Amino acid sequence: MISLVNVTKFYKTSLGNKYIFKDLSFDIPIGHNIAILGSNGAGKSTLFRLLAGSEYPNKGKVHCTLNVSWPVALATGIHPEMTGRENTRFIGRVNGVKDLNRYEDRVKRFAELRNNYELPVRTYSSGMRSRLAFACSIAIDFDVYLIDEVTSVGDAGFKRKAKEALLERSKNANVIMVSHDMRDIRQFCDSAIVLHQGELTFYNDLDEGIRKYQAL
Amino acid sequence: MSSIAKRGPWGIWKDVIFALFAREIRVGFNDKLGIGWAIIQPVLFIFILSFLRGRLNGGETHGIPTFVFMAFGMVLIQCFLQTFLAGAKAIKKNKALFAFRQVQPISVVLASGLFELLVKIFVSLGMGLMMYFLDLELQLSDPLSLMFYFFSLWLFSLSLGFIVGLVGLYIPEVDKIQNLMTRPLFFISGVFFSLQDFPQEYWWLLDWNPILHAIELSRYAAYPTYGQVGVSSTYLAMSVLTSTFLCLSIYQAYWKKAISR
Repeated sequence: MISLVNVTKFYKTSLGNKYIFKDLSFDIPIGHNIAILGSNGAGKSTLFRLLAGSEYPNKGKVHCTLNVSWPVALATGIHPEMTGRENTRFIGRVNGVKDLNRYEDRVKRFAELRNNYELPVRTYSSGMRSRLAFACSIAIDFDVYLIDEVTSVGDAGFKRKAKEALLERSKNANVIMVSHDMRDIRQFCDSAIVLHQGELTFYNDLDEGIRKYQAL
Repeated sequence: MSSIAKRGPWGIWKDVIFALFAREIRVGFNDKLGIGWAIIQPVLFIFILSFLRGRLNGGETHGIPTFVFMAFGMVLIQCFLQTFLAGAKAIKKNKALFAFRQVQPISVVLASGLFELLVKIFVSLGMGLMMYFLDLELQLSDPLSLMFYFFSLWLFSLSLGFIVGLVGLYIPEVDKIQNLMTRPLFFISGVFFSLQDFPQEYWWLLDWNPILHAIELSRYAAYPTYGQVGVSSTYLAMSVLTSTFLCLSIYQAYWKKAISR
């Protein structure tokens, strides 16, 4: 269970504080693959980063008893001058992976990078980068995977593979996802949270959520 | 699937700092010259400066060889400047890494400080080795005090850099002032002169500077004939304690906000 307790989050701008959430309390239900829907600037990424612990609320707390991944986006933590393998090892160490060598091989196989795995990431195409980022996170046993648009860059074959991997993991893991691509969302998620004007609403049925979101 | 180890806060800290440190080493020595340049550059400088000063005073400065005199000044001031800069830049440079909740700004600063320390240890060893092969006389009569001054200076630089880095997140203009402030340090820290070169009534202009204390004390620790005037290890130690305390308190108060901007 991930719960937000009285969370207030704002950013300081030259026009005063810009509030994203004001005194928000919300429990994110477990056992669902959830899409976070909301218009631009509604605070999807902020919510994401709060859930992941990458940022902290100005007031209130985020309680989390699960193992949550970092927000997997295109470039997080990947150094362009280091090779795919070195980046993988770094991410593995930070997250406390027990067997780094097996983890490296698993990521290599999943991301289908072959020899490119030993080349600096700056030589990669954006598709290869997103495959690497996604593989790094899916190869670790998390309870919840936070995925931010990454899957939208890979080709059809990789998307299928990513979905299969997530489905296989879904017995004891879930995914929370931000994407503007409804096809992506339909592929990976079964329910939705609509984020509108600092309020969160959970819809058990994905299609209902999408309808509500499109009606905003 | 790769399972994750259950780690306590110390375990996480250790792993993260090690990972960052390995990353610094990997990225820091990326060009072909690598660590070589870190040694060659100060050595060139020392040669030129000690040549100039050697012409003036015949190869010996206050009882120690001019080359050694300059070497201490150069290595220590570079230790200060580079560690300071590394500490000041670390948070901004590694901002993307705070997406991992395990990575906190202090680990990033510590890792880049440790990297600088490693480089400086190599530079000092390289310098000693070079002097040995050039048959230059090198005396280290009190290595323990020397190490203490060296680490004090390192900690002082890192904590000052840390403070500047933290303040810079709120006030970006600090970057520009920081350049302005570090430039003269080269000239007022006793790199190519000694406090003994100055008349005592003007010492107050210079002796507020802990770097000067560190450099003069190190020379004295290596060559007791150099004489220790106008500097004190207590002052150095107190400066280090104050700056470390200050940077840790600022950090404790602001770090969550700092990465949420």
